[in-house]
Amino acid sequence: MNEFLSQEKSIYLQIAEMLENDILRDVLLEEERVPSTNELAKLYAINPATAAKGINLLVDTGVLYKKRGIGMFVASGAKKAIRSRRRDGFFTSCLSSVLEEAKRLNISRSELISMIDSNYERGTKEV
Amino acid sequence: MSTGKLICNDLVKKYGKKEILHGIDLELEPDKIYGLIGRNGAGKTTLLSTLTAQSPVTSGTVTYNGMPVWENQDALDHICFSRELNPLIGWGANSLKVKDYLKAASLFFPNWDKRLAERLIKDFELETKKKICKLSKGMMSMVTIIIALASKADMTFLDEPVAGLDVIARDAFYKELLSEYTETGRTFLVSTHIIEEAEDLFEETIFLNDGRILLKETTQTLLERAVHISGKEEDVDAATAGLTVYHPEKLGRSKAVTVLLREGQRIADGYDLSSQPVNLQNLLIALCGSDTHSDAPDVRRSTAEIPQNAPEGNSGDRKDR
Repeated sequence: MNEFLSQEKSIYLQIAEMLENDILRDVLLEEERVPSTNELAKLYAINPATAAKGINLLVDTGVLYKKRGIGMFVASGAKKAIRSRRRDGFFTSCLSSVLEEAKRLNISRSELISMIDSNYERGTKEV
Repeated sequence: MSTGKLICNDLVKKYGKKEILHGIDLELEPDKIYGLIGRNGAGKTTLLSTLTAQSPVTSGTVTYNGMPVWENQDALDHICFSRELNPLIGWGANSLKVKDYLKAASLFFPNWDKRLAERLIKDFELETKKKICKLSKGMMSMVTIIIALASKADMTFLDEPVAGLDVIARDAFYKELLSEYTETGRTFLVSTHIIEEAEDLFEETIFLNDGRILLKETTQTLLERAVHISGKEEDVDAATAGLTVYHPEKLGRSKAVTVLLREGQRIADGYDLSSQPVNLQNLLIALCGSDTHSDAPDVRRSTAEIPQNAPEGNSGDRKDR
């Protein structure tokens, strides 16, 4: 949860994404409390309303749930759900820009596929 | 938390014959952090001092929780305007020692939080035995910050609180402001020129330009509808046809513009363009900067049209004042 915020994207989306990343890499465990909006606001020097918007996004998608009077918690199964939702969005979020750039550079389909083949093992260490 | 709103209607302020504020309508709600942004001379400080009855209005009304603020202690008890201190002004505050200045503030504000003030003095390492006029600019800013935070006023106005502060002190200030805000729900209105680092603090942003409110909008929605488009000139022109564009810049065959999309508007598809988000700082440059590059006609006029989300009655027809 200590990535820097960038200017390239809405802050609340970045907050949601960072929380998701932390869940994927076991920084935040399922059924564990996540930082409150006020804690996030102070850490990143952002308006609490913005932090709340990011958290609510994750409540809407079922990644977090609210325990009344205690705070927000990571739902069980959240990790799997995040992964599967990100997989569904993989084309629009990542692949489409790769294809666009490939076309701009006249990289053919078969060239692209062989590039992927030769780099796949190396490139997938992180997850 | 208080429930009082601070409202001004058709606020006009003249200094001599020169009109600084041209009919401002503004409503500040409780439990929000507002950012006030504008160029030098836009009227920010004048607006703050008239809203807080430190300077009389020429015409128009200012009320807090329904009560006029002018010479009304019941309203002023809830309002704090911590003025920027300036070493060049030789009167009053500047000849005082810091501790005496803070002492005066503690008598003035009914809800003064002495412990908070003392903690901030320690955290900021402020020398309270020095005279105000002997302080550096950054230390003067610290004094104004301490007064604003410790006043515990429901409506607190800070005029360039971070001017002259180093980056670590600025960061400390933003965090203090947020913790005070989250604990109390006081309303803060902060004017600043260091927009890039403060924009994420502001729930709403107010753009003041030339004595008029250009925009008052939730920062998030404002940034979501602002987009910077660049590419081949004819592609940019085609994709933005029918939209109001700001701050066109050209270099060779390339062109870049900033667009503030209104509801239902979008950039046309099918062109090879780069589209990037715009931060508040760049938006200010696009909307209020000089239009020297403008070969697009009507940049001036279109600028005056934008307050679609500004308070009612503030749009358009005040140019002739």
